[in-house]
Amino acid sequence: MKTIKYFILFVALFAGRNTFAQQISKAELQVNGLTCSMCSRATETSLKSLGFIQTITPDLNRNIFVLTFKRGQQVNIDQIRDKVEDAGFSIGDLSATINFNRTVIDEAGMAQLGNMAFKFTNARSRVLDGPVTARILDKNFISPSAFKKNAAQLKSDSYLSGKGVIRGKETRIVHLSI
Amino acid sequence: MRYTFFAVAVLLLSVSLRAKAQELYVFTEPASNMPAKSLGLRLTNEGIFRGKGMNRTIPEVMLSFNKELMIHVQGFLSDMDGNYRLEGGSVYAKYRFLSIDDAQRHLRMAAFGRLSTSRRPTYTEDINLEGDNSGAQAGLVVTQLLHKLALSGTAGYTRAFDRESRRLAGTTQPDEMITYSLSSGYLVLPVRYKNYNQPNFNVYFEMLGKTNPANGNSYLDFAPALQVILNSRTRIDLGYRFQVSGDINDRFNQNMYLLRAEFNFFNVLK
Repeated sequence: MKTIKYFILFVALFAGRNTFAQQISKAELQVNGLTCSMCSRATETSLKSLGFIQTITPDLNRNIFVLTFKRGQQVNIDQIRDKVEDAGFSIGDLSATINFNRTVIDEAGMAQLGNMAFKFTNARSRVLDGPVTARILDKNFISPSAFKKNAAQLKSDSYLSGKGVIRGKETRIVHLSI
Repeated sequence: MRYTFFAVAVLLLSVSLRAKAQELYVFTEPASNMPAKSLGLRLTNEGIFRGKGMNRTIPEVMLSFNKELMIHVQGFLSDMDGNYRLEGGSVYAKYRFLSIDDAQRHLRMAAFGRLSTSRRPTYTEDINLEGDNSGAQAGLVVTQLLHKLALSGTAGYTRAFDRESRRLAGTTQPDEMITYSLSSGYLVLPVRYKNYNQPNFNVYFEMLGKTNPANGNSYLDFAPALQVILNSRTRIDLGYRFQVSGDINDRFNQNMYLLRAEFNFFNVLK
């Protein structure tokens, strides 16, 4: 009986880790407000302090950093934003490869993957499966002017705050466009 | 005469505008800060062309606590009053309160303050808080980066302490100064980046001025400079500063060169 219990626990743990690892595998990050390689190096050093990042490949001419993430570690996109801002700059564009697993987008555009909540601005009532590249549209993940424009179009409280109430609990909602 | 100099200054600035820079200015500070939790070390040597020449050495530590606030702590050593000795120190703090970014451009504004002490006697109404005078300064900086060109303007107010006790007999008493500057910088090399190890080469042109509000006496200096950045971390500056117009007598830094090495350690503070 004990063995079975441990076995179930082990499988649950393993499966849990697995879906964890597959949520976001890669991201392309374009950083605004810089030109020179010293600024790029400062940004890269700041990002490197995040434990879940595996590799950072910079394109110094376009100020783009391609990030890959460690397997089995939760990727926190808000921490990526904070590290870019700590370096003195801001995110112009963040496109992430998200690995969906027969994920249902409901009629309101909401979807749940692992412990992350997404709201799609251009998809509803469909099922996503496998890797999909999505742009993050939240505040401070795009330019302030683009955010303003989206906010006027979407007229949504969750978009303005990046948060909403799901099952009675205030939750971070990441707004995506695919 | 002064108008001619201003016209030339504006012309030079617009020429550098049409070319394209960077904002790691040699004679002033930009509104941008170092990355949060970083450490910078500087060693500056100023050679002043006066008499048989004078030298000042400025060791400097820079710390950034977060993305908004950073400080510089400086020590001043020179042979300006005979033997080479420690003559004073200064603390400079800068708070960035506006930051608007776009692709390869930004606009930043910051407020700064400086507190300095010096045991040098005073010889002139000019106030130089980097070695010559005890005093305080406060001001604003605005910096605009446009791809490879960076433009920056500073305005501030400086007040000297120990106004009478350190004055050499028969010289003008330092009291207060309005300070202002316009700086431009341009990233010349590399034209295209391949990696972090390529040296960067920047050229600068700065205009530095002060006016004594009590009597209207003022000066304008031009300060061109060259800069090399190694490994995207280490910076070497070579600048020259000279007065193009002015009626403030016996200034120390009206004709000088500056040589500096700066070492940056990003994200090292906990």
